[in-house]
Amino acid sequence: MADSKPRSPLMEVHSRRLVLLATTLCLLPLLLQLPRSLGIGFGLSAVAVIALSWRHKMHSILRILLGVCGILAVVAVAPGIGRDSACAVLAAMLALKPAETFSLRDGRSLVGFALFAPFATFLLDQGPLSLVLSLAAIVLALLALQQLARDQAGVQPPIGARWWSSSTGVLRLLALGLPLALAAFWLFPRLPSPMWGLPDRVVASPGLSDTMTPGGFLDLMNDDSPAARVQFFGATPRPEQMYWRGPVFWDFDGRTWHRLPRLQQLPPAELRAGPTKWDYQIELEATDRDQLIALDVPTKVPDTAAISKDSSVYSPNALNNVTRWRMQSTVPLALEPDLLDVLRQRALSVPQGFNPRTLALGRQWRREAGQDAQGRSDMAIANRALAWISREFAYTLNVPLAGRNEIDDFLFDRKEGYCEHFSSSFVVLMRAASIPARVVAGYSGGYYNPMGDYWLVPHSRAHAWAEIWVPERGWVRVDPTAAVAPERVYDTLADRQPGRIGNFSGLVPMFNASDWMRRGWNDFVLGYNAQRQQSLLNPFGMENLGTRGLILIFAFIAGLALAWMMWLIARGERERDPLLRAWRRLGARYVRIGQGRFSHEPAQAWAERAGADVPKTGEDLRSLSQRFSNARYADDDKSGASDQRRVLLRDIETHRP
Amino acid sequence: MRPRQAETLPVRLTRQRIYVLPTASGLFFGFVLATMMLGALNFNNNPALLLAFLVAGAAQASLFGAHMQLSGVVVSTIAADPVPAGEPIRLRIALGALDQRVRRGLRVAHGDAFAHTSFDSHGGTVELLLPTEHRGWFPLTRIELSSVQPLGLARAWGYVWPDEPLLVYPAGEAQAPPLPAPAGDDGRAQVTRAGDDIHQLRGYRAGDARRSIAWKASARRDSLLVREYEQHRSEQLTLDWQLTAGLPYEQRIRRLARWIDDAEREGRRYALALPGQPLIPMGLGASHRHRCLRALALLPGEVARG
Repeated sequence: MADSKPRSPLMEVHSRRLVLLATTLCLLPLLLQLPRSLGIGFGLSAVAVIALSWRHKMHSILRILLGVCGILAVVAVAPGIGRDSACAVLAAMLALKPAETFSLRDGRSLVGFALFAPFATFLLDQGPLSLVLSLAAIVLALLALQQLARDQAGVQPPIGARWWSSSTGVLRLLALGLPLALAAFWLFPRLPSPMWGLPDRVVASPGLSDTMTPGGFLDLMNDDSPAARVQFFGATPRPEQMYWRGPVFWDFDGRTWHRLPRLQQLPPAELRAGPTKWDYQIELEATDRDQLIALDVPTKVPDTAAISKDSSVYSPNALNNVTRWRMQSTVPLALEPDLLDVLRQRALSVPQGFNPRTLALGRQWRREAGQDAQGRSDMAIANRALAWISREFAYTLNVPLAGRNEIDDFLFDRKEGYCEHFSSSFVVLMRAASIPARVVAGYSGGYYNPMGDYWLVPHSRAHAWAEIWVPERGWVRVDPTAAVAPERVYDTLADRQPGRIGNFSGLVPMFNASDWMRRGWNDFVLGYNAQRQQSLLNPFGMENLGTRGLILIFAFIAGLALAWMMWLIARGERERDPLLRAWRRLGARYVRIGQGRFSHEPAQAWAERAGADVPKTGEDLRSLSQRFSNARYADDDKSGASDQRRVLLRDIETHRP
Repeated sequence: MRPRQAETLPVRLTRQRIYVLPTASGLFFGFVLATMMLGALNFNNNPALLLAFLVAGAAQASLFGAHMQLSGVVVSTIAADPVPAGEPIRLRIALGALDQRVRRGLRVAHGDAFAHTSFDSHGGTVELLLPTEHRGWFPLTRIELSSVQPLGLARAWGYVWPDEPLLVYPAGEAQAPPLPAPAGDDGRAQVTRAGDDIHQLRGYRAGDARRSIAWKASARRDSLLVREYEQHRSEQLTLDWQLTAGLPYEQRIRRLARWIDDAEREGRRYALALPGQPLIPMGLGASHRHRCLRALALLPGEVARG
């Protein structure tokens, strides 16, 4: 195909090496975000393709075959059309492209195409590693472009130049473009809501999901990446009050708990707030879900979010980015004291034909406790269950696979498990005893970062607890796990503190510092959106700029940035020799009084001429010029030369016509 | 603004006469960046947006960079030694700049011929080999100066149309009869006196006059050297237009050009008589040859002759 067209000149060997290196580096951050098998596979095939096609173009049949293999691999690992599978296909194509890249034009297209890879990476992950790798890849890609442009013009590197000397050109370009880039970033009008949604991932990212299957938290509990960061204004809850409320599960099919999504549409439940009020700002990492996390129980959320009937908080859009939410929570005196009959039925239903021993135990406890309208018997049953659990049960993350009657197995045989098992068994037991109950998932506790005065809630703090409904008080939180292992829930165990290795806590301040920086990055860059853009100039007394105002300010700042860029480029490259620089400045001072040196005039001749015309300083100028010529052209002995230069430099700088 | 007519050197490329447009790869690059920006804005993906803006900023700077590679370049002189028609003429273009910027990979092109050059504030020279076809003034048209530096994303170019006369001699006839008989009365050689105008020393050959041997030099070199005089064979010729009567017009010119070169090679003094022009008197050497060939080169064409 390419043979029929006029051929573009071939790349030099070192340029081709640079182009391929840049492509590989662009690909690297993307590979790290793909499912591990695909990432490793494509990485290896990229290296293999480069090695195989180093001298000769790879046969087209082999190329097509490899392409088909890549796509099949994507289909096998991440079937379906989603963000991650699309990114994986891109990575596969990019890994194969070096097989046919030989001409200058091919090289340029490959570099341009490779820039999509860091972009795709950010659709999957916005962490610091991706960013650093992508920046390095960008620098290398520009370096490759520069090298190709120099090849095209036959520019040879100066003799003895180091390999990095050509990178200053690229870094300079990036620095020149930086003001414009930053102006565009902060001032270019943002979209208040996306024109089209971000395609979902095929392979879900870690986080609380819409369902809960006891045993499913294990991955989450081993994931130390942050889920949220919280800053309190005023009162801070005690550790045992830090329950971060996520999804609420109502329906149980014997194996998995499900939400009642319809409750999202209903207004929040009636809530009688207690005296405690917590005011805080919570910063959530991207989850790709619409579920928010709030301190139990939320009373006030921003207008862009809504509290559901079961006191969870939802956003209208999926959280694809870091988001910040200002909220208030309280310890309620009563939550939903009048429970709708429909919901009461839901909160009492247990799957038929499962867990007969648990159901029997619940019924037995109800018979023994009796029935009363104030709910005293309900509380007695709950306390009885808690006492039993605390007496006979143990906490472990090492749990076998669930059987058919999972609750029975857990309560009567195994008596070991973690929060999911405790909470779901407790709720089933309560329902069996005719107490309305539901499971709440979320996080518990957090680590205080003294550096930034905020609390970090990592994914590993994922937790599930129970809520039972009692007359007059409504929903009451009961945490059966805390009855067994309060140290796991409230995290009084220091060994799980981030940055701590065993008993060694020396790295904790470093961890705090790095997380604080990460939070700043989240706050400053990742969480920036249309809303915050509008309030950007609030400190200067300009409220709600509107798109027009923004465009005007952007145009103004961008104009300034362009002028600055132009001026810097026009100034040319800085002379490295300070002596010559000083000499030129001296010349410029004489130009100002109309005694400038002509380009054909040697320094000495000029000094004679200008010195004669400016008698006041003429003698001085002549001697300076003589010393300058000596210092620059005469090969003085080295000893004392640097001192002499310094004196001369000072004299030239202080000389005024 | 492109020059509409030839201009006197030196010519400085100013802002008004420089054009900048993205190259094909620049357009592709722009498309990639635009896609990235649109996607990043839509998803409010800040790192991707920042990345796209950063690259776009660098690309914009490279656009200015390309412009600045040309801006301020001075085409100070253009020169070329005359060549016979048909041989490529070697154009030497001296470039300079008044500012401190380093020019890298500046492309200088005239027609299909191009060359690249790099220079700093000290200036530089670039040579272009241009094909010639006809004798006379070389039709020098616009010289294009262009640059795709620093990233190859944008190309800046400007034109200079120098008003610089470059001469192309007529090509000498390939198969020409020997030089015509000398124009002197009896055709005998006029021998200049020994001691005049020593031209060079050469090795002794059998038959050389004894008094032409340079004894001192021979003693130093340990071999016999002979003084050779400029007017060694000084038969005088007058190359007259009429000598070529009967030939086609252009061939007459080519034959005379050939004879001039032959005479030069043999070291014979010659004069040139052309119709409608004063006689070019006897002479020999580079400047005389140039004067004669120039007169031939600038003879009006056959049609113009009327």
